[in-house]
Amino acid sequence: MSTDDSTDADAGGTEDEGPSLTRRDLVKAVGAVGAIGAASAATVNVDTDDLWADNTEHYVGDDYGEYGASDVIHTTCGQCNTFCPIKVRLADDSGTGEYSSLVRKLAGNPYSFLNTQPFSQVPYSSDPEEVATGDVAGSGDVDADRWSLSGGRICLKGQAGIQTAFDSYRVRKPMKRVGPRGSGEWKTVSWKQAIEDIVEGDDDLGHPGLRDLWGYAPEDEVMDDWEAVQSGELDKSAFDEKWGDALIDTDHPDMGPKANQIVDVGGFRRNFIRTRLWHQGLGSINSVHHAGTCGFSSVMGNVRSHAAQKKRQYPDVENCEYLLVWGTNPMVANKGPTWLAPKLTNAIEDGMRMDVVDPRLSKTAEKADTWVPVEPGADGALALGMARWILEHDRHDVEYLRNPAESAAAADGEPTWSDATHLVLVDEEAGPKARATDLGLVPADHELADDFVAVDASTGEPRPASEVETGVLDVSLTVDGTAVRSVWSLYRDRVFEHTVEEYAEMSGVSADRIAEVADEFTSHGERAAIMAYRGPAKHTNGFYNTRAIATLQHLIGNYDWKGGQITPYAGYSTMSGRYELGQVPDGHSPWGIPLLRGGVNYEDTTLFERDDGYPAKRPWFPVAPPQATQELYGSAADEYPYGVEALFIRPYSNNHVMAVAGGDQIPDILGDPDTIPLVVASDTVIGETSKYADYILPEPTYLERWENFGTYPNKRLADEKISQPAVEVVPDSRPFEEVLIDLWTELDLPGVGEDAIPDADGELWPLERAEDFYLKLAANIACDREPVPDASEEEMRVFRESHEQGLGDSFDLDRWKRAVSDEEWAKVVTVLNRGGRFEEPVDDYADRFAEHGHEYDYAERFDDSNAYDGDQMRYKLGSRVDFYSEVVPKGKHSYTGERFDPLPRVDDVEHYDGGVQAPVTDDGDPERPLRLINWKPRTQGMHRTTNSPWLRETRPQNPLWINPRDAEERGIENGDTIVIDAGRRTVEGVAMVTNGIRPGVVGAMWGWGRSGDGAVEETIDGETRGPVEDDGHTPYQFDEPMTEEAGLAKGRDAGFAINHLQPLDEELSDTGLSDLVGGSNAQYDAFVEIERT
Amino acid sequence: MDEATARTTEGESPTDDCESESASDEVERAPDATAAAAAGGAAGDDADAARARAAVYGLLAAAFDGDHDTLAGALCDGTLADLAVRFPGDADGGALDRPDLDAEGLRVGYDNLFVVPGPHYIPPFASAWADDPSESFESDSPYHDAGAAGELLGDPAAVAARSHAAVGFEPERGDAIPDHLAAELEFMRALCEREAALLADASDATDDLVAVRERQRETVGRLGWLDDFHEAVEAEDAVEGVFAALARLARTFVAWDAQHGIAAPDSGTVPPQ
Repeated sequence: MSTDDSTDADAGGTEDEGPSLTRRDLVKAVGAVGAIGAASAATVNVDTDDLWADNTEHYVGDDYGEYGASDVIHTTCGQCNTFCPIKVRLADDSGTGEYSSLVRKLAGNPYSFLNTQPFSQVPYSSDPEEVATGDVAGSGDVDADRWSLSGGRICLKGQAGIQTAFDSYRVRKPMKRVGPRGSGEWKTVSWKQAIEDIVEGDDDLGHPGLRDLWGYAPEDEVMDDWEAVQSGELDKSAFDEKWGDALIDTDHPDMGPKANQIVDVGGFRRNFIRTRLWHQGLGSINSVHHAGTCGFSSVMGNVRSHAAQKKRQYPDVENCEYLLVWGTNPMVANKGPTWLAPKLTNAIEDGMRMDVVDPRLSKTAEKADTWVPVEPGADGALALGMARWILEHDRHDVEYLRNPAESAAAADGEPTWSDATHLVLVDEEAGPKARATDLGLVPADHELADDFVAVDASTGEPRPASEVETGVLDVSLTVDGTAVRSVWSLYRDRVFEHTVEEYAEMSGVSADRIAEVADEFTSHGERAAIMAYRGPAKHTNGFYNTRAIATLQHLIGNYDWKGGQITPYAGYSTMSGRYELGQVPDGHSPWGIPLLRGGVNYEDTTLFERDDGYPAKRPWFPVAPPQATQELYGSAADEYPYGVEALFIRPYSNNHVMAVAGGDQIPDILGDPDTIPLVVASDTVIGETSKYADYILPEPTYLERWENFGTYPNKRLADEKISQPAVEVVPDSRPFEEVLIDLWTELDLPGVGEDAIPDADGELWPLERAEDFYLKLAANIACDREPVPDASEEEMRVFRESHEQGLGDSFDLDRWKRAVSDEEWAKVVTVLNRGGRFEEPVDDYADRFAEHGHEYDYAERFDDSNAYDGDQMRYKLGSRVDFYSEVVPKGKHSYTGERFDPLPRVDDVEHYDGGVQAPVTDDGDPERPLRLINWKPRTQGMHRTTNSPWLRETRPQNPLWINPRDAEERGIENGDTIVIDAGRRTVEGVAMVTNGIRPGVVGAMWGWGRSGDGAVEETIDGETRGPVEDDGHTPYQFDEPMTEEAGLAKGRDAGFAINHLQPLDEELSDTGLSDLVGGSNAQYDAFVEIERT
Repeated sequence: MDEATARTTEGESPTDDCESESASDEVERAPDATAAAAAGGAAGDDADAARARAAVYGLLAAAFDGDHDTLAGALCDGTLADLAVRFPGDADGGALDRPDLDAEGLRVGYDNLFVVPGPHYIPPFASAWADDPSESFESDSPYHDAGAAGELLGDPAAVAARSHAAVGFEPERGDAIPDHLAAELEFMRALCEREAALLADASDATDDLVAVRERQRETVGRLGWLDDFHEAVEAEDAVEGVFAALARLARTFVAWDAQHGIAAPDSGTVPPQ
């Protein structure tokens, strides 16, 4: 290396040809550059002292690094819908503060009883410093045991959260499309520009602004005038004149205000975005979450089977003797495997028998005593078959069933009772249950006028149910000329419509097996339970399947008993207490027919007359909330019940193109700006759905924002989690609720800005940033029941330091403090330092924990358990359970006008027009012989995007499981490349031949199948290239499944998108089939043929 | 007459987007060149070179930071074309000779290559090109290729941030990503300017000079990923080619600078008497 510039440099740069440039040459060349380059003012200051000082010592992989509470923030995971409480261990020494901290590791939150299962959590009062270093007395000793409870469990998806946040493909700036929707070209714009365009409209793209689109008027005023029009008191033209600006259609005022045409889609932050901002701020009824593409029918099936809130089915695992897992996979999926898997494993070790009903041998089924491979969609038949066997053998709990009301139940020491003895007015159209006044038993103003009626066993007379100690089960009577029958007799008749052999035939499960399972289920008193979820639900008959399963538990009355069915909706107050977060001063009341047509009968609307009655153009869901998301795009395209003018999507948990059965139809609809004129997505990456937006706004990932997710009712104690920002990775990202605050402020809508949130005293507080809401929520949590203690000075310090480290310059402690009162702040810090509030299993927990340690089931072992109340659960359902739902028949099928069924039943899987897609009641004649099912893989949370999960080395794509019998018939061997023909689409896949799936059924995991590059024609910089011929075609070698071949993950087009193989509804053709009662879309009802390539 | 001068005498259409003020100016020497030249000898040469290098780094930093006005100007008036042509291997000299190009087009091109994480994205920061953990990195994006373009703010960012911090440098360019190409190029600009200032300063700045040059060497040492980066940009920007050419220029210039540009630690200093 010479200092002599004039030396001819023959050692060139990276290129070989030509003489190399000398420094003098450069000077000459640059002379012409002048001052152009020096635009930025950043300078360096080389101080001699810092000269060689490189303060960081470069270790490679040190021992367990010591860290403290100031390096930890507790928040909630967002990698799947379980939302485990987690601990974020911030990285040491991440840099100068140009960006906030990095994450060193994620683990479970040791304060939470969820992620410490099967052990007990650290006491809530534990010093965060001691928790972080694993020094809490009783939590184990790293030096001695090489283990301590300084971190809880977390699954592999959770661990990958670091990659979610620190992803080079994060959207970093607001983006506006250049060219047609979905064309893949964008330009970045400022936030100011984006907000302005969304509010005022944009001429470039030609889309309207919210200001033009919005209109609102209160329902009572409109409807009063409408009535006046009907009665001739008011001129229609005057009505049109008055309400034309506010209403969607003055000929159909029941559609509601124009605000309804501004639609929000996004699973979470519902209390904030849906309740406050959308409903009361904007006045729009249309804030949609993912229910229809998820377990909606399961939720509704459970809701209609119990009087008090119960949407899910879970057992008290620790004491359960017989668990029937039905169509769910708690070892790996469900909500959440982090605690369910260890609990179930230990329970099995302790002697619990677990059987699993599932067409395939899932991980949970592998651990079962008996695997029951049911025919997909025929779960209702299996359940009713079990019911028939139970009734025939008198194995139902007659004493339980004969309690007509709470009083009788309490006398028997039962926390719940059933409607078995209640009388039904069978001649009335919707078959409602009889009330005491209906049968003339008491006068109309009597306090028991509304009581149900049961026949008193001691007198043989019908009486108000609360006055009856023991009812008669089989009743068929006429009372005062009114025909009545008991629920039990109706249920029994329903069950006896088929023999056990017939049910066996329908469900594909032998009569012997049905008997065995039913026998076992009724041999453990109340210590038997069912855990069911999406398997039976994701069919058009999913609601009835779920009802059939739920009612099995009515037969043994296991609710609220140790070892039985649990219903622990147990948390801490979030939306009210110190602050009424759901209240918007001068807020709007949303009204009108929801876009997704839930909660209202078609014939009760003005559309009925307009469209000449039945059939309705698209499905209505009269007895379910309007959350059949799968109908959204087709409804927009059909403008039914009305068009969508603006759609705001948060694809996190709502990546519809991938998650909706038939979602491959969505791009055509979304891609057309005439159908939905304005589409705004708030996303962390450009996904399969957000790529069709007009604007993509950068969202923070779950590690960077606030949230409050509930825990599923599969726990024994109360908890409330709070998610808080732990790091800030993309400085320009903004949580969508803050963007909405800006938009609503521009539009002068209520509930944002000053005077937005009332406290308990009626004082109004401002709402400008997300923390203004969530810190108050934390205050509500902190002060509920017995308020948490104030944070000590030490804890205040830890709070400040950890947040400064994680959030850097964007953490404004003073601003956070101003969101609540000073007294509340001290308690908020306590809650935030722990990531929420987690009930302890017993009193004096800290002392006992120090004595007995973490490996002790306190809730079981001590009498003052917070989980149990003697032999019962502390958190109870405590209500009536229903064989018969009188709500359901109020709904009518919008194609035929027929009422829905109040009882469980067996049904075929049907298209909207009644055409059979998958027969259950008979063999039918499906077009292709193999039933296609799918399931949540271990490694994916939801269809947020479809990129392969991080264990692709062991699972490079989603192989298709196929039984050896079916494989042999087709000459297919394990590992063969195959073509999967679903009729309207074919894709390529690879076969995994296994006995672990029912013959006649094939299936794969969802979560694969990119629709990007190559799937459609693309124009890049003026050059167009055509689509690839075969969807999902991959030009590379697949691994042979089930061989332990580790290695690098495969290429990006691995696998196929299973929802794009689902059949489209025959009548609708733009989306898949739906369950009109429960609202789920059908995702396990495709029929395919497989061929070797 | 060199090409730049030739162009300026041709006269341009007034409707041209090219409205750089220097378009019709005479070729000028860099402002401080005179002063440094007066310092004389090797120090003067080093100072000139440092300033020249600073100017180039600054221009490239602006280009990769999305400073479209600066970039449009430099394309328009041929500055970049001139520069590129000096370096060996500039096969497609025309790509940077763009008097026709408008700032909006440049902007969209820049956005889609370096900001929008879509089908054309080439992440312009070192972490995305690091092998570890890139090969096994998982992204939620459907545009992410397995085994490529992994982390944001990975170890290379930490190293860059520490290096910047050690000398009190806070980059304004690079979207708050320390290992962003624009940030590192800006860093080099600042280091080169500092070197030039030290050389112009009559008092003995040997230790500081050594430090600054060492820091420069260390910084270009972090830019090895530019080779892969350039190839990727060239593959993606196949039609217009402006950013492909810029990437090539950046890669070539940095490589040249590492070999020839960065002076020996004590070059240009007064030898001990």
